[in-house]
Amino acid sequence: MPSTIHVAEYLDLDVDAERWRCHSCGHDVGDARENYKRGLLIHERDPGEVHPPLIDGEFTFAPNPEWIRILEFYCPGCGRQVETEYLPPGHPITHDTEIDLDSLKRKLASGELHIDEHGKLEVTA
Amino acid sequence: MSYPSLAEKLAALKVSEPTEYERSCLESVNAGDYEIGVQRTADILDEGYEVFMRSSRSQMGVAGDSIVAIFNAQGDLVNASAGTYLHAVIPPIVIKYILKNFRENPGIADGDIWYTNDALYGGIHNPDQVAIMPVFFEGELVAWTAALSHTTETGACEPGGMPVSAKSRFDEGMNLPPMKIGHDHVLRHDVIEMFAAFGLRSEVSVTVDLRARCTTADRVRVRLLEMFAREGKDFVTGLFRRMLIEAEQGARKRLASWPDGVYRCATFSDSAGTEHGLMRNCFMTMTKRDDTLHLDFTGTSPENGSSYNAHPQAVIGHLANYIYEYVFHDLPISSATFQPIDFEFPPNSMLSPAPNAATSCAVMAATGAMSSIANCVGRARFGTTEWRQVTASLGNGGNASVLAGVSQWGMPFADMLAYTINTEGQGARSHSDGINAYGFPWCAFGRAPDVENMENELPMLVPFSQHWPDSGGAGKHRGGVGTAQLWVAHHAPYVIFMSIADNSIVQTPQPLFGGYTMPTCPGLSMEGVDIPELLRAGEEGTLDLASLLAGKYGGQIVSETYARTARPVMGDQVITLGISTGGAGYGDPLDRDPQAVEKDVTDGLISDWSATDVYAVRFNERTGRVDPQATAAARRDVLAERKARGKTWDEFHEGWSRRKPPEEVLGLYGSWPDGAVVNPLMRM
Ligand SMILES: [Zn+2]
Repeated sequence: MPSTIHVAEYLDLDVDAERWRCHSCGHDVGDARENYKRGLLIHERDPGEVHPPLIDGEFTFAPNPEWIRILEFYCPGCGRQVETEYLPPGHPITHDTEIDLDSLKRKLASGELHIDEHGKLEVTA
Repeated sequence: MSYPSLAEKLAALKVSEPTEYERSCLESVNAGDYEIGVQRTADILDEGYEVFMRSSRSQMGVAGDSIVAIFNAQGDLVNASAGTYLHAVIPPIVIKYILKNFRENPGIADGDIWYTNDALYGGIHNPDQVAIMPVFFEGELVAWTAALSHTTETGACEPGGMPVSAKSRFDEGMNLPPMKIGHDHVLRHDVIEMFAAFGLRSEVSVTVDLRARCTTADRVRVRLLEMFAREGKDFVTGLFRRMLIEAEQGARKRLASWPDGVYRCATFSDSAGTEHGLMRNCFMTMTKRDDTLHLDFTGTSPENGSSYNAHPQAVIGHLANYIYEYVFHDLPISSATFQPIDFEFPPNSMLSPAPNAATSCAVMAATGAMSSIANCVGRARFGTTEWRQVTASLGNGGNASVLAGVSQWGMPFADMLAYTINTEGQGARSHSDGINAYGFPWCAFGRAPDVENMENELPMLVPFSQHWPDSGGAGKHRGGVGTAQLWVAHHAPYVIFMSIADNSIVQTPQPLFGGYTMPTCPGLSMEGVDIPELLRAGEEGTLDLASLLAGKYGGQIVSETYARTARPVMGDQVITLGISTGGAGYGDPLDRDPQAVEKDVTDGLISDWSATDVYAVRFNERTGRVDPQATAAARRDVLAERKARGKTWDEFHEGWSRRKPPEEVLGLYGSWPDGAVVNPLMRM
């Protein structure tokens, strides 16, 4: 019975061990009861480095760098860009995924849910 | 006054308890007859939808930005045909309001035509209007029908129904609470005259669309009566109730497989009408437990003194756009599918403003909610066997422009330039790119008008329409690109132009799983451009966005925000460059197949610069084809650079947590960073 869920493009959730792991390289990203972003490397960018302004002036094709920044989150093992977030400078990083591990374990143990061979959750018929 | 409170609106969305009679009727609906009965309601509604599009006059009505719906006697939405899913769950608020307040006076009778366009009483914003008819069979109220669509003129302080300069609801023109506008199957002539007066700028589209709604609601009513006569009242009553039960069960089953937990998304916008300022236009906390969802908007910025506010049920309508396109796509359009979903709206936020708020640009205020739901649901759903349905956010730009004045046919008009909004890019999907110029995130089935049709209907020329390179968010899977279209006033001494959309300083949608979002959309016009030369280049097919921006046709580019208040543009001058947003990107751009990057360059969907600098693809200079070895080496270098420059959580927060956007852009935000109300808002 697999105990790992492919929970995001670049994240696996090892349910039994309660760890986040990189889906690409297996790097241990940290405690699955914490924000997985705590286990990633963070780099801040001027949005104009990704979206060229193309024209002069106050309003261009690039977001205004005083209003918004791009945060890139990398896997420390393989360098994959696991996440990105467009945030105003100083705005708290979003805790976007907070899985209820106790509920998940209970539903897997009772057979209400199971994990298929591709690491995907399914309601047991 | 008795306009419904937030609690009453949310309660009205819940399906009514079945009556004893309905319970007894359930038994008369066996499985085979149920399937046929459901299909019969769908056929009736599809006929109604077709009648609706063919009888409407405004560009939005003709495009199919509408919905036709059937309700049971208590006002629960049983099935619909769309169009737009904006109205897929919320019309019961209006019918239940009529049942509660107007049963005695003026009374509810066979042949009544009811009408409303007031968001305070349950709609989206006042251009969205609904005609409702009760269905009486053998003297008894057995059902309701409704036809809803968007008409681009309301008699507001600016043409087009979505004034960016409105300060309160009193600047927004016609706002009709639910009222009876016809009886004995006849639309009152004094009411039609009132619509003509409010719709003076565009009398024909306003009055023709009014009649289209009534005739559509009536067509569905007539077909339902045929069904009642043929199948019997017991069967149809039981069928409706069973459809509600099955829809709810289908929704609960879908939610049950997602892992329980809390999912969050923060999105931002840059303007409230004419005032620029940073806003957290949505802070969504989605709690998923067993077969239920709870959506809490606490942390969304305060209401503002512009029309960029949305009443709560309008926000729910916007969530339905995404949920019906991607989550409940195979379930009937029915209020019962939202039975497992509960909502919390912070008072005096831009998603739950005071009754006197202007909300005619509610469609702009709700873009954050529309984008956040894609993000939160995507995160909850990727770990399940439904992962193929996960996508990054649609463009959700809604870069809508309005043209008004007197047309080349001598007719007063005020209408939307519907091409831009109907050609946004789809968000990148978990297994493939987003569709280019896929459509209108507010109306998945809406159609972009032909250029020939635009030039025939409106006093304008369209020298070019094309895909807009780099408009789709980059990623392993690229967001679909949007379009660019140039508009030139023609065949009239002048036209009036205005535009909504608030994505010229920051973009609202967040990308997903390591992609990037789409670029911002400046509002561009061109002064002193050589128009004859431009048209010649258009004829030859050499005119494109890059050459225009490079100044090849002379003149000067004027850059403003995409939202602009109403202004005249003289004949044979450039009105503006219409651009539609692409979709958000999905996954690390370094994981994108280099061959797909090469094809994107060849197809004009991305620039050479993006291929090299965002996707790290290297080309053979002689052949122009991908150099696989050089690309692999370049990508290895980028991965190594990331590991070298990335900071740990604690290192990063040492600097980050001490920073803040400039004070002068936080006037609309609320408290920093929580977005709570700081000062009460005073409206005139
Ligand atoms: Zn890794």
